[in-house]
Amino acid sequence: MPESISIEIQQFPLWEKLRAKRVPLSFDMEITARCNSNCRHCYICLPSGDRTAKRRELTITEIDDIAGQAVTLGAVWCLITGGEPLLRPDFGDIYLTLKRRGLLVSVFTNATLVSQAHIALFKKYPPRDIEVTVYGVTRDTYERVTRKPGTFEKFMRGLNMLMESGVHIRLKSMVIQSNLHEHAAIAEFCRAHTKDYFRFDPQLHLRFDGDAGRNANIKAERLTPEQIIAIEQSDEQRMNAFQKNCDMLINQDFTHFGCNHLFHCGAGNGSFNISYDGKFRLCSSLWAPETVYDLRQGTLADAWNHFVPRVREMRSNRQEFLETCRVCPLVNLCLWCPAHAYLETGELDGATPYFCAVAKARAKVLSNEEGSG
Amino acid sequence: MTTHLDLNAVCARSGDVVAREIEGEILIVPLVAGIGDAEDELYTLNETGHAIWQKLDGQRTLKEVAASLVDEFDDPLAEVEKDVLGFANELTRRGILVAKP
Repeated sequence: MPESISIEIQQFPLWEKLRAKRVPLSFDMEITARCNSNCRHCYICLPSGDRTAKRRELTITEIDDIAGQAVTLGAVWCLITGGEPLLRPDFGDIYLTLKRRGLLVSVFTNATLVSQAHIALFKKYPPRDIEVTVYGVTRDTYERVTRKPGTFEKFMRGLNMLMESGVHIRLKSMVIQSNLHEHAAIAEFCRAHTKDYFRFDPQLHLRFDGDAGRNANIKAERLTPEQIIAIEQSDEQRMNAFQKNCDMLINQDFTHFGCNHLFHCGAGNGSFNISYDGKFRLCSSLWAPETVYDLRQGTLADAWNHFVPRVREMRSNRQEFLETCRVCPLVNLCLWCPAHAYLETGELDGATPYFCAVAKARAKVLSNEEGSG
Repeated sequence: MTTHLDLNAVCARSGDVVAREIEGEILIVPLVAGIGDAEDELYTLNETGHAIWQKLDGQRTLKEVAASLVDEFDDPLAEVEKDVLGFANELTRRGILVAKP
């Protein structure tokens, strides 16, 4: 009998075929930059009432058009993110539009705006998953991060509604100075409430809009390299992953001697990112003007087939870069990349001393562990 | 869901899934909950299933679908009818096809 074959997504043989052809399998759609919270560390959030930002947001027609172009190019996964995506009153329509294009849709949300209508939507039309960030497990800590009174109660209510609905939820956290004291409790909470692994991010990058005041806030919230090492060492799961992949993380083969290309990451090889106002980027952090393509003035096929290769061909002749970051064997332990370099320095090949210090501290730990093992 | 179709049945693609063709392969993506047996599933069809799928237009009976595939499959009609019926039953059970009244 001819069979319909249901299989694990990861095992689908089509993926290898598509990767070999440089197909954009996944993309992030930031449907708004606005947020009802005002998190100290956030790289994107604009006030929920920001009229200019709201006016510039992609309409549902534009989103559907971009999604259609993405599907034509072979996209399978789509992440709806923000800002806070549930802030848009047409979120449900956007979500269904993307689902009806045959995309496997995930959603990032802070959960504070989850309503019964959202629950009904997700139960009938399940997302691939919903990822919620846990900024704290007490009111004081949570609202110290979000800077919006009342958000903790709304977060707990929304999260409980999502969990009770049976929708696939994943929890994560950002570790910053304002919630570091509660990190262990946050981790315990996340692991207790979801079956999936819990992931946390202890490194902050700067804002997409270069807002100097907010960037100063972000820098003030950054953990020191010593603090990052301490929480990573206290996390057995994370340390095991580091140690298991130690050979891949510190490796002279990654040094790229003799090559002055800026981009050695996977950006623009199998995924892309769309900003709230229709700007195509190779990844969510890449905002240098020469690496941004306005989809309101062009097509996704042009962006993907012609613009991305031009960006990935960009090179640096700055000696300092060629002698440091370009040839650093710690690149996989470091948050340095052209995108983050631009956010930190205004140059795609700029040095990022903070990320460098974190990478060196991590390498020291791994070398010591290896030596003692 | 258990279904027992016969060759006089007319089947159509369910509105609860989205079928896409990528690189010559059919990818069936569930739109609503309850399609298939587990979460996070995609469906793909083998070559025979792909050929049958293309003929299931909600107009023809399964018998007519089988007859239209005899030359392509190069098998006796009875064998093709068995394949088409098995395929339609399986996909109807999973909610990917719907039998029209």
